[in-house]
Amino acid sequence: MVEFKNITYNYSSKSGIYNVDLNIQDDEFCFLVGPTGSGKSTLLKLLYFDFFPDKGEVNVLGYSSSKIKTKDIHKARKKIGVIFQDYKLLKQRTVYENIALPLHINGVGRKKISDLVSEALELTELSRYSKKFPHELSGGEQQRVCIARAIVKNPEIILADEPTGNLDPTTGHRILKILEQINKEGTCVIMATHNYKLITEKPYRVIELDEGRMVSE
Amino acid sequence: MIDKVAFLFAEGLKSFSRNKLTNFLCILTILINFTILGAFFIAGSNTDSLINFFRSKYTFEIFLEDKADLEQSSSIAKQLESNPAISSVTLIDKERSAEIFLEEFGEDVVDMLGYNPLPISLKVSLEKNNFDLNKIQELINALEKYDFVDSIEYRGAYIDDIEGKINLFIFFFLVLVIGVIFISIQMISNTVKLSMSNRSDFIEILQYNGASNIFIKIPFFIESILQSIIGAFIAFLLVNYSFIVINSYFNLNIQIDNFLWAWMIGLSLVIGLYASNRAMKRILL
Repeated sequence: MVEFKNITYNYSSKSGIYNVDLNIQDDEFCFLVGPTGSGKSTLLKLLYFDFFPDKGEVNVLGYSSSKIKTKDIHKARKKIGVIFQDYKLLKQRTVYENIALPLHINGVGRKKISDLVSEALELTELSRYSKKFPHELSGGEQQRVCIARAIVKNPEIILADEPTGNLDPTTGHRILKILEQINKEGTCVIMATHNYKLITEKPYRVIELDEGRMVSE
Repeated sequence: MIDKVAFLFAEGLKSFSRNKLTNFLCILTILINFTILGAFFIAGSNTDSLINFFRSKYTFEIFLEDKADLEQSSSIAKQLESNPAISSVTLIDKERSAEIFLEEFGEDVVDMLGYNPLPISLKVSLEKNNFDLNKIQELINALEKYDFVDSIEYRGAYIDDIEGKINLFIFFFLVLVIGVIFISIQMISNTVKLSMSNRSDFIEILQYNGASNIFIKIPFFIESILQSIIGAFIAFLLVNYSFIVINSYFNLNIQIDNFLWAWMIGLSLVIGLYASNRAMKRILL
């Protein structure tokens, strides 16, 4: 499903990721850990083709970084749900409209959109906030909207970039619980975090990065 | 598919109502440029009427010698009528010439002199379309060689000179029109870029959620269509009303094309969509 073949990507002469080899299976839950600047976000950006490696090849859901054309990137992204630390919600749209956005992009009919958004709202316990605007919600609630938007299109992979970074520990655990539930339903989840406390005692694969290199797995 | 189109159309309308400042700037740009273009168009089309007026004066007159009789005159008239460069030939006999003299000078030439000295003449009207001064000059040279032709009066060269100057004016007008169109494209393109950079977050979110470039572009195109229609229509009203006022104030008869509104809006749409597409191409790789 996800394959990194000897990937090197340089931001500048001093930062980037170097010689990363990695395979992640279809239904895996996997943590990318490491301090700030270790290359976790870069690795995720390479996965949704926001960055392209300087060396090596990334294969995601049958799309290869060396072969994919710019005009086809959106096709790969339709199968990937991305959760951002800063939520990236549309401020002038309601919670419902934000969650429905990927479905409109995928050309889903209005009735089906209503059903799928309701399911996502239920899963993320946001049903009563559907008509609210992002600025009316707390950080944790906004992050759950972001998760609902990522899962509503039923993606094959969820990429979560520090989804608990701006949240208190209780809310962080709640977010992680939702992601675990999504994974139980068969979706691959790759979550970048520097919050070691959050992931201790979790039975999932942990990939540790430091200064752009994989240090342990 | 219908839902997707409806969503994109609604998005276009929403962003049109939300981004008031950039839309106002874009409409103002179109309004200014199309007021200038509309005025140029009216000036250009009326210059054409002026040329047609001069072309209607495309005639020459053949004065025959006294020895030419009516039969010879009719024969030459028939010959000339068969020439494709000539639209009609009017034979003016001696009696008609005397009548014209009386109408123009108020004197009866026959009473004055006791005889009619005026020659038979042929008034030749030329075809306005496919007019070729060189060919007409060749025809006149050939006619002058007829032994019963006394003289030929033709002012074609002067008319041609005037027409040449008018055409030069039209050329400068066209250069100006192209200049205004180019400026419009640049200004609209820059306004769209500004509008897109204001909404870079929105575009980024759409891209991360799998939107194709065309999906992102359509709402901007809808906005551009609305801006073009509004800007060009206000420009049309302004130009139309201004020329009506000018006509009535200076007692002129400047003609305003019945379809001025259609070509102004049409051209505005073409320029607006082209400029928007150009701006978006540079931003959406």
